[in-house]
Amino acid sequence: MPPLFSNLILSAFISNSAHPVCTPESMPTKEHANSERERCVTGIDAIDHILNGGIPRGNTVLISGSVGTGKTSICIEFLIRGAINGENSLYLSVTEPTDKLLQNVIPFDFFDDRLARQGKLQFLDLPKMYEKLGIDKEDLDFDQTRLLADTIASLVEEQKIKRLVLDSVTSVCYRIREQERIRDFLLRLGTVLSAKGCTTLLVSEIRSSEEGYSQWGVEEALADGVIVTGNLERRGDLLRTLQIVKMRGTTHSRAKYVLDLTTSGVLLVPLLKGGSVAGGG
Amino acid sequence: MTAEVAEKLRALPESSAVSMRLKSDQYFDAIQGMIDRFAIKKDLEVVYVTSTIPSQSIINALEVLEIPMEHIWFVDCISQIMMSQEKRHPHAIIVESPTMLENIMLKVEFLLRRVPDRNALVVLDSINSLAIHNNTKILSEFLHILVNNLRSRGAYTVIFSMQEYETEEIRNMLVLVSDETIELGAYSGS
Repeated sequence: MPPLFSNLILSAFISNSAHPVCTPESMPTKEHANSERERCVTGIDAIDHILNGGIPRGNTVLISGSVGTGKTSICIEFLIRGAINGENSLYLSVTEPTDKLLQNVIPFDFFDDRLARQGKLQFLDLPKMYEKLGIDKEDLDFDQTRLLADTIASLVEEQKIKRLVLDSVTSVCYRIREQERIRDFLLRLGTVLSAKGCTTLLVSEIRSSEEGYSQWGVEEALADGVIVTGNLERRGDLLRTLQIVKMRGTTHSRAKYVLDLTTSGVLLVPLLKGGSVAGGG
Repeated sequence: MTAEVAEKLRALPESSAVSMRLKSDQYFDAIQGMIDRFAIKKDLEVVYVTSTIPSQSIINALEVLEIPMEHIWFVDCISQIMMSQEKRHPHAIIVESPTMLENIMLKVEFLLRRVPDRNALVVLDSINSLAIHNNTKILSEFLHILVNNLRSRGAYTVIFSMQEYETEEIRNMLVLVSDETIELGAYSGS
C-alpha cells in the first residue's frame, strides 16, 4: 500500500473514531503503571474506601441495577459532594422531570441550596435538550446521535463540568436503538468527557432477573467501571446491595456490600456470609 | 448494684468491648447503672441496640428514672417483627428484623456519624435474643465486624448476655470478641 494511501486511511479513521490513537509514547510502561491516576473522590466514604481513594478521574462508570436499589441516590450524592468540593456537577435527567425527581430525593443533611443558585450543581431535563436540538423523532438517526453526544460534550466544556450523571443511559439508548450507533454514541461521549477530566456516571436500568449489567450489552463493555446495585433476598429479608465489578485505573474490592440510603448519605457495610443465602442479588 | 456496674465500666479504657453477664432480674438495674451512672457521667453518646424488648419499654423505664434522653438513641430490631402498634419515639430507629444484622450495623454507623466528635457507648441487648433469630456463624461474623469497627472509633461496646439463656456457643462467641467480662450474677439482684 502506498504510504500516502495508508496515511489517508489512518487519518480518516482518526477523524471518525472516538478512540484516540495510541502512540508509542502513550503505551503503558512500568513507570506509567506505577504512577497513581488522579482520583475523583466521590465523597461517599465507603465507595472511596472500596476504590482505594475514589474513581480514577475521567472514567465513565455504569451504575447498573433494578428499580429501588439506590442508583439515583448514589448519583445525586456523588454530584452534591462534588459541588460542595468546588467541582461543577450536572445531572441530566431522561426519565423523569427534575422537579419531580428532587421532590422524591432523600433530604441529605449536607445539601445546601446555594450550590444550585451558584451553578455548582445543575439539573437539566434531556427532553428539553432534544427539543432545542430539533430532535422530535422517536428514533435517533446517526447524525442526531452524534449531535446529542457533541451537545452534551459542549455543555460540559462551557460549564466546566467535572461530574456528570446521565440518568438513564438506557432511556437514551432506547431512542438510538441500533447497537452500532449506541457504541458510537458512548465511545464519542466517553472519550470527549474523559479528555475534559469529567467523571461520568451512566445509570443503567436492568431487570433483577437479567444477566449482564445493561440493556444492550454495549454499555458495560465500553464503560471504564461497572457498579452494580441490587436486591438480595435472604430468608425473607430484602437487602439492598452494592458491588463494584469493574473499575479501570485502580485496584478495588469486588465483594458485595449492603447499602443503606440515609440522610447522612449512602452507607455500606460488608455483606455477612455466615448465613445461608437463598437467591441471587 | 447500679453503682457497681458503673464502677466496673469506669475502670475500663476507651475502645473496650465488654460482655455483661447478668440475670433477668438484674436487667433494669444494669441498664440504669450503665446509662445513668456511667454513660451520662462520662458524657457519652449512647446507641442502644435492642432485640430483647421494644425500645419504648426501655424508654418508659428511663423516663420513670428521669434519665435525660438527649444523647440516647435506639436501634430497635424487635418492634417491627412484633407488629407493635406503639408510637415510635423520635430517638428510635427501626430495623425490620433481628435477622437483618447488616442493617443493625448500618443504623449504628448512621447514628455515630451524626456526632463524630463525641465518644460513644454502644449497647447490644442481647446476644441471646439475637441468637434466637440468627445462626452462630453469621452472629459471630456480625459481632467480629461490629466490635472491631467500634473499637477503631474509640467507642465502648457492651454486650448483654442473660445467664439463664447462655449456651456454650454464646460463651465462646463472647470470649472471642470481648476484652473483658463483667459478671453480675454474684449480686443476685440485690
